[in-house]
Amino acid sequence: MGLLTNILLAPFLGPVWGTRFTLDKVDRAVREQLTDDTPIKEDLMALQLKLEMGEIDDDQYQVQEAEIMQRLRDVREWRERFGMSVGGGPVRVAEGDETE
Amino acid sequence: MTAESVSASELAPTEGKYVYCIIRNDRSRDFGEIGIGSGARVYTINHKDLSAVVSDTPIVIYDPTRENVLAHEFVNETVMREFTLIPMSFGTVFRSENDVLALLKSTFQAFTDVLEKMQDKIEFGLKILWDRDKVVAAIERDNDEIRRLKDEITRNAASSTYFARMQLGRLVEAAMEEASNRYVNDIHEQLKSVSAASRSNKVIGDRMILNAAFLVDRKDEKAFDERVKAISLQYEDLLSFKYTGPWPPYNFVNIKLKLEKAT
Repeated sequence: MGLLTNILLAPFLGPVWGTRFTLDKVDRAVREQLTDDTPIKEDLMALQLKLEMGEIDDDQYQVQEAEIMQRLRDVREWRERFGMSVGGGPVRVAEGDETE
Repeated sequence: MTAESVSASELAPTEGKYVYCIIRNDRSRDFGEIGIGSGARVYTINHKDLSAVVSDTPIVIYDPTRENVLAHEFVNETVMREFTLIPMSFGTVFRSENDVLALLKSTFQAFTDVLEKMQDKIEFGLKILWDRDKVVAAIERDNDEIRRLKDEITRNAASSTYFARMQLGRLVEAAMEEASNRYVNDIHEQLKSVSAASRSNKVIGDRMILNAAFLVDRKDEKAFDERVKAISLQYEDLLSFKYTGPWPPYNFVNIKLKLEKAT
């Protein structure tokens, strides 16, 4: 019976499993992209370097910096939404254990 | 209550403490109205012979804008003229003076040890970028195999194969990587005797070949300075140098603070 069920239902279960698996994977990829601020920080450093090397002026810097800050805020928001840790904001010494 | 966005800073009450650095000091000190935000007064919160250098702030998340980062750095530069300091990372805000005192108390020994180690140590930043065209020209001049292949391709422009060009490209790439390593090693080697430690960070963009921080004893500052200038003269045709400092030892202090989000 078990085997037969599998065979009979396989065409139906197959695609469903497949879809769910793909969605999970996409979900994970999207989530990683939404919550990773490393590339944004790299962009910020590259932008600062451009200013320091005289490749862009202050006004151009300001415009691009504002964009980058918005991206950082977006990531922070997503991280909060997913319950992940965020940099910045008020902190205090964690209770109960020694500091390394 | 969660942290508000920084744009609300004008309205928010200023009960929080922004911490810039930790120093050894047992008296109340005032460093003037140079703090982050709009020139808040910078002063100390003391526990025994340790002080946190702070200013009052609303409870906000500070964006790492150039303006904010420069304000943070300016305070540390000012404090550094008189003290050896442990820099706090940008944007560290505590809810109250008591929370800052808790930090000083719980990490008293670790801070004391690190301050001891960092006594009279300063940091310099050295970023090195190359001019790709000039480096390629130098490689074509010095590398016989590449020069020959290039001449051949130029002479037989019509008949030279795609593969010969590919091979030339590959050879040039490899020679460039080799040159980059050679420059970087040579520069590190030359700076070794005038620095206490160095750390290489990830390079930024495709022209940078070195992004390093050097920990230097104050007594070696002049020697380090002169060595960097000599090196930049040595390579002036190929590389451009971005030399900054003195900084607090941002890249060499690694205290893991067990901090949690204050709610």
